[in-house]
Amino acid sequence: MAKKTTNQDQAAAAPNLNPRDQHTLEQLVALADAVVRSAQSGVDPTLKIPTRTLSNVRYNRTKRIIEMGSARSDRQLFNLNQAKSYMQTLLVASGAKKLIAQGKTTSLRGMFYLSKHTIEGTREETFDDQSESDGIIEDLEVAINVLREELHLYAKNAGAMVGEITLIDSGDTIDCTRMGSGGYSIPSIVEPEVVQFAECNAKFVLHVEKDTVWRRFNEDKFWKTHQCILTHGGGQPPRGVRRLLYRLHHELKLPVYCLLDNDPWGYYIYSVIKQGSINLAYESKRMAIPEARFLGLRSKDFVECGLSNSVKIQLNETDRKRAKQIAKYPWFAHKKAWQKEIEQLLENGFKLEVEALISKDISYVTEEYTPTRLENEDWLD
Amino acid sequence: MAASQRDISVSEFFAKNRHLLGFDNPRKALLTTVKEAVDNALDACEEAGILPEVWIRITPTGENRFRVDVQDNGPGILKKQIPLIFGKLLYGSKFHRLRMSRGQQGIGISAAGMYGLLTTGKPVRILSKISRTKPGHYYAIQIDTKRNEPEILNGRGEGDEIPVGERGRQAIEKLGIDWVDVDHGTLVTIELEARYQRGRGSVDEYLEQTALANPHVTLHYVDPEGKATTYARVTETLPPEPKEIKPHPYGVELGRLVSMLKETKATTMMQFLTSSFSRVSGNVARRICDAAKVSPRASPRKIGRHEADELYKAIQTTKIPAPATDCISPIGEDLLLRGLHKLVPGEFYAAATRPPAVYRGNPFVIEVGLAYGGGPATHRVSRETLVELISQTDARTLRQFLTSTFDGVGVQAADKILHEAGLRRRTAPAKLKDAEITRLHEAMQNVNLSDGQTMTVLRYANRVPLLFQAGACAITQTVMATNWRSYGLTQSRGSLPTGPVTIMVHMASVWVPFTSESKEAIASYPEIQKELRLALQAVGRKLGMYLRRRIRVKHEGERRNLFLRYLGEVATAVSEINQTDREELYQRLLKVAKRKTRQADLQFDDRGRPIEQDADDFGGGVLIVGDDGAPRAAETGVAAETPK
Repeated sequence: MAKKTTNQDQAAAAPNLNPRDQHTLEQLVALADAVVRSAQSGVDPTLKIPTRTLSNVRYNRTKRIIEMGSARSDRQLFNLNQAKSYMQTLLVASGAKKLIAQGKTTSLRGMFYLSKHTIEGTREETFDDQSESDGIIEDLEVAINVLREELHLYAKNAGAMVGEITLIDSGDTIDCTRMGSGGYSIPSIVEPEVVQFAECNAKFVLHVEKDTVWRRFNEDKFWKTHQCILTHGGGQPPRGVRRLLYRLHHELKLPVYCLLDNDPWGYYIYSVIKQGSINLAYESKRMAIPEARFLGLRSKDFVECGLSNSVKIQLNETDRKRAKQIAKYPWFAHKKAWQKEIEQLLENGFKLEVEALISKDISYVTEEYTPTRLENEDWLD
Repeated sequence: MAASQRDISVSEFFAKNRHLLGFDNPRKALLTTVKEAVDNALDACEEAGILPEVWIRITPTGENRFRVDVQDNGPGILKKQIPLIFGKLLYGSKFHRLRMSRGQQGIGISAAGMYGLLTTGKPVRILSKISRTKPGHYYAIQIDTKRNEPEILNGRGEGDEIPVGERGRQAIEKLGIDWVDVDHGTLVTIELEARYQRGRGSVDEYLEQTALANPHVTLHYVDPEGKATTYARVTETLPPEPKEIKPHPYGVELGRLVSMLKETKATTMMQFLTSSFSRVSGNVARRICDAAKVSPRASPRKIGRHEADELYKAIQTTKIPAPATDCISPIGEDLLLRGLHKLVPGEFYAAATRPPAVYRGNPFVIEVGLAYGGGPATHRVSRETLVELISQTDARTLRQFLTSTFDGVGVQAADKILHEAGLRRRTAPAKLKDAEITRLHEAMQNVNLSDGQTMTVLRYANRVPLLFQAGACAITQTVMATNWRSYGLTQSRGSLPTGPVTIMVHMASVWVPFTSESKEAIASYPEIQKELRLALQAVGRKLGMYLRRRIRVKHEGERRNLFLRYLGEVATAVSEINQTDREELYQRLLKVAKRKTRQADLQFDDRGRPIEQDADDFGGGVLIVGDDGAPRAAETGVAAETPK
């Protein structure tokens, strides 16, 4: 029995597919067709997957973002080390196909359970834990060049937003000035199909690292006094937050300022927002904000703000190594201000958290520190 | 004080120190008695060139009392020798000569008789016939321990004559002796206080191991419960008869040399050297004399202390050929393999016979046989035997019972079995209920012990199994000191390796250096240890090759399985995406998989030609058993190392 249905039949059979889903589905079917073809011609079935490692990313100086290179690695069914991940890739593809065909979305964890079962006749599980399926999902994204959202997958919500903006999320109007103390929880899929901007009075976006700092700003109604949007990403911002920042910046032309800890981790978060991450280099073009600015905390702040010794946290060996690595990133390497900043951090021998400013005054960060920096345009770029 | 000092007879000494002869406890006494009688029987048969057939019967005669009957088909013993052999300690033909034999000192059987007399008061009874046409002789003997002399109790101190033919048979019957009707042979009957118990260090074990190292022997055994077992011979050829040799110069100490010089009948040094020693030709003798600055024509009796000293040094520095080896008859690799295969179930057998070597001038040969695989001792036990073992054991806990009864079962393995059976470790074996015994038996069959199992070491000296004092023996020590990890076994430092391995080590020599008169452990001479090590390494290498190959084959199999396992998943996923027929795709993928793995199975040599995987060169002395139990690849026969 040969292949009975054509791609068109297949796509048409699914309920109300929008063009994006149609495209994704075609890609998935093409992937499966390739397996059938190699089986028929007796060739070793192989997937070509762009490599997601540091060696395969490069910094595009004109666009000022990280881009993925052209290196691809083969994933073969008949290779002892790759057989299982080959199988897993197709399982995830089949899972995604089901989601799209039924017009539903699920979480990464949902996909893990959707594809996980015991292999017939063995005690082996197709997936042992979620980290395996998460990696395979990213592989599939790059292999057929679609985005995670297009596979109908989302991550758990992380990050919150308040401020002078009104948006429409899945048809519900959300006024971000009336979000109480919790704020609007940023979903992981914020594509225009899901989230539209209705009205915006904000002049800029202030992105802070953590929930605790964000609460201070929200409680002090910083967004009201300074007419802005306030977001946080719970540490390293997830895709949804980054994508939303990107859209706020590009569609509403709002400048983005970041208030992060004064440590290598803070620098790296800024680097990801600005240039994109190595792992998701293929998404940089729709996430990276090269114009984002680093407001603080800076290595000079300990002296400048007159902080007490007790707020210092000693740098450990990994911190030092990481800082030196970051200093060598091509997008920092030629910036004198950044080199000086990192040099000073190493010289200080300690790091500072944004919360440390509380030692001056509870609202020092909202009433003194941030307004002054913004006013003096005292930031790093 | 001075008045109370007097001579001590050998018999008195050993009557008090019976542990030196292997009569420390009733259980061991039974074994030693059987052992001494069987060893003598085998020696006698072989010396006479008769294929040995031995009947062993143990009959309980009362509480803790057994009668041991051992009969052979040997040449029989001359009338006047009988009382001396069985009723006098340190009387024998084997002590003064250098020739490979089981017995050495002439203590064993008379000591067994003495022990019987001491514990039951019953004399040793001997019936011996030298031919069908000549009358046999019957003696009841007890040893006079004060004088170390035999005392004949029957026929007014002269013994009884057993007539030829039917009348003889009736006479034997009247005496109450179970004589197997053979043309010639000897029957010894000893009644003694003893305890019969199966398991490690038992008569059963000794006989089984004897059969293993003596493939030309047939043993008939009737145990105290009346169960008869026969170990039939594997080969019809007698081992080549070992020759008696003169001492080798390297093994002679200065004191011995001096006494030899005094006792010799030779008139010249030349004559003395060539006639008293083995491997000393005229040429060698001349060179020794030259080096010692002694005239070859000097009279040996006139050699002084100083010159003897020089002579001794000269001997050590002169190159003398190794002793002749026809005085030793090793079992041989072929028979070792066959014997092991018959008695130890396994999948791989290897054997190595070292070329002869010399310690203290005594030539010896080390042989090692190795069996790998097969179930441990616990798998081979039937439920009835288990019930019997449980009733006989004196172990206080189940764990102790398992570790002390079965070879290769360590504490960990025992715990595993008990856990599987759902029994407590400290339960007394005697208190087990019927259902619990069934559970224990099932667990013993089912639990895979190959991890926890330690190597079983069977030790032999001149074809006699050594069952006690394993720790004190050079063989055990060398096995432990050998690094088995490089041959694919696991081993913790300074202990026996683990795994389903049985190793048998045989030392054949004209004089085996035992650590005590009970002949239970071999002394650690460096030369012996070296040969042991080399022999162990030889079989170890072969085992290593086999295990590596097995792992490789297993990996290949796993590889193919891995692909096959995932193919179904891939086919399902693909058909779910594009509605392809799953079965058809699966079959196609299967085809590709089979071709792919076949290609991957082949390895290529330097010139790009596929290498045949099975062609590992074991260098002989190897027996591999296939799944069907039949030898698959036998590389037996004479290997390069086998002495000619």
